[in-house]
Amino acid sequence: METKELQPSIIHLAPLDQVLAIGRANSLWPMTFGLACCAIEMMAAGASRFDLARFGAEVFRPSPRQCDVMIVAGTISKKMAPAVKTLYDQMPEPKWVIAMGNCAISGGPFAFEGQYGIIEGADKFLPVDVYIPGCPPRPEALIEGILELEEKVTGSRRWPRVQCG
Amino acid sequence: MNAPVTDKSLAVLDRTAETFVLNLGPQHPATHGVLRVKLTMDGEYIVHAEPVLGYIHRMHEKMGENRTWAQFMPNTGRLDYLGALSYNHGYCLAAERAEGIEVPERAEYIRCITVELNRIASHLLWFGAFVLDLGGFTPLLYAFDDREQILDLLESVTGARLTFCYFRFGGVYNDIDDNFITGAKAFVKRLRSRMPMYHDLVTKNIILIKRLKDIGPLSQELCRRYGATGPVLRGSGVCFDVRKHEPYSVYPEFDFDIPVYHECDSMARYMVRMDEIEQSLRIVEQGLDKLPDGPVMAAKAPKILKPAKGDYYAAVEAARGSFGIRVVSDGTNTPYRLKLRSPTFSNLSLFSEACQGMILPDALALMGTLDLVIPEIDR
Amino acid sequence: MRLEAIRQALAALAVTEEVEVVKIIPAPKPAEGEEAAKPTEVREKVSQTMLFTPDYKKKGFHLDIKVPPAELPAAAQSLIDQGFFLEAITGVDWPKEGQIEVVYDFNHWDELCRVVVRARTDRDQPAVPTISHIYSGANWHERETHDFFGVKFSGHPDLSPFLLPDDADYHPLRKDFKA
Ligand code: SF4
Repeated sequence: METKELQPSIIHLAPLDQVLAIGRANSLWPMTFGLACCAIEMMAAGASRFDLARFGAEVFRPSPRQCDVMIVAGTISKKMAPAVKTLYDQMPEPKWVIAMGNCAISGGPFAFEGQYGIIEGADKFLPVDVYIPGCPPRPEALIEGILELEEKVTGSRRWPRVQCG
Repeated sequence: MNAPVTDKSLAVLDRTAETFVLNLGPQHPATHGVLRVKLTMDGEYIVHAEPVLGYIHRMHEKMGENRTWAQFMPNTGRLDYLGALSYNHGYCLAAERAEGIEVPERAEYIRCITVELNRIASHLLWFGAFVLDLGGFTPLLYAFDDREQILDLLESVTGARLTFCYFRFGGVYNDIDDNFITGAKAFVKRLRSRMPMYHDLVTKNIILIKRLKDIGPLSQELCRRYGATGPVLRGSGVCFDVRKHEPYSVYPEFDFDIPVYHECDSMARYMVRMDEIEQSLRIVEQGLDKLPDGPVMAAKAPKILKPAKGDYYAAVEAARGSFGIRVVSDGTNTPYRLKLRSPTFSNLSLFSEACQGMILPDALALMGTLDLVIPEIDR
Repeated sequence: MRLEAIRQALAALAVTEEVEVVKIIPAPKPAEGEEAAKPTEVREKVSQTMLFTPDYKKKGFHLDIKVPPAELPAAAQSLIDQGFFLEAITGVDWPKEGQIEVVYDFNHWDELCRVVVRARTDRDQPAVPTISHIYSGANWHERETHDFFGVKFSGHPDLSPFLLPDDADYHPLRKDFKA
């Protein structure tokens, strides 16, 4: 096949996508969905002191149909996994997944030889975008995770990175 | 919302009437985690409720059997993560009883102080989340504000915010310092001055009263058959608190009361918890005043436990009721069997019987007053 | 008080078992100049009623009784008549003896008195009668024990998997369980 010079299109969708991405990144709506201990730190992140609202991600929605981020906060048991999958499937596109805590990353403290009850990591059945280690991760870590996700969505970081040490 | 079981509501429960099944959970904001309840409804009235558990079964008891005694300690912090220190304490008591370890007095005091702070934090979170269930968002923010102060204090000595693993067999691993003592004293003062505000804001609120008063009566006979403990039982007029009933640690040294309410309704259980916050403040205050000097770790505590054959039982009053732990030792360095008796397991089991004939929003208010932590029920 | 009352009520139910006890008979005093003989150990089978009142400080309970499985409902009935409440039911697997032990913990509101009731059943066909018609709370505890150990509680209304997934056919707390 011979290649042809294409005419530049009249309507440019890419910039529109970028604008949309900025909009989405700055008002992520997570799902109110806690599995275990990590969910308490997720609550703490949304409550006074840590105040996730500063970063536009405080609108916790109980219904998956209104959310665009699923924060998997806690241990996923084999019994719960189908429900988690259903919740994920019910979310409208575009959607992202944050694995919060060691349990959601790899099974954490409950992964041992001979275990019969848990799924060792959310990425076994969900496309995870951001991993936040900790048992439980501090609320600051969750906030950083959300900023990380923003960066993934827009391609650039809006907030300065805090240097530690 | 006020709907005690009257003749009329019983008539509605006529089994021949058309019923439908309503699935609540496992992901539902009012069940505080991954509890699922299969409800058979007749219109707004509940005909039958069947809780379905196991969505966060994490094999704690199995894990106890394949690690050493000390290695199980972090697990106790993840059972009831809101009152992790009570669970630490219960497990320590069981292991110390089995091995015959004496704990120095200072360590006992530190244990009581930190456990009580943890209890306050747990009740504050319950308070916020419970009022949130009933539709009030603001109290949660106030409650978290105070709770963060406690977490700061506990973090400075334990190194964790939530899943504490602070106690060791024979004491605690880190001594408290002057900063902690001044901080805790300031906190006691602060929370005391804020309690009237909580009562003004929430307790005296007419909506809350209408939703809780005379709702969800739990009789003593019902509590006995189901083995309910903790604030649920004390809201039904039974003065049963392991701290007084079966004194452990240095609790006999403290002067505190057990709040008991005789109304048996949701309001009574709410009031028990609110009063308990004040009693715990008293214990913390006395503990800080009386704190003796000395080591925080028993000098002769063995590094590796090998208790003699047999079984041992220990119980503590956790924030949700009596937490019991039965350990069976076969003389090796791993427990042969660990049974965790979690209070909310028994407390939730009465839900099915208690909520019959109630309307759904009232049943959720009743469930809220049971103060459920699902990973502790499923273990 | 409470302890004495419940001890009397339960005493008739306790099993009597052959227990091996080791008796040490001290050697007779040696005559002058002789070396002391070693004390002799005698293993004896003694029949003993399995009803103990252990030291509370050491064990954490006041009364420890073993009953034949068939007597469990009777024991539960006398406990509830005296106002005891059920703390928990659990199992312990003893593969060497080929048995599963079912352990019931009771406690009392008014007076500190912890009672432990045990019953042993065959490991291959574990079955004990239910007490869920006496203590309603036992329903869930028994279902849990069935999940973990496979103990059949005869007369129980519903022994479907409780904490394990709906299709679980394994009993994870048995010692020979492999995932
Ligand atoms: S990572 Fe740790 S804190 Fe989080 S759910 Fe798992 S055990 Fe709990």
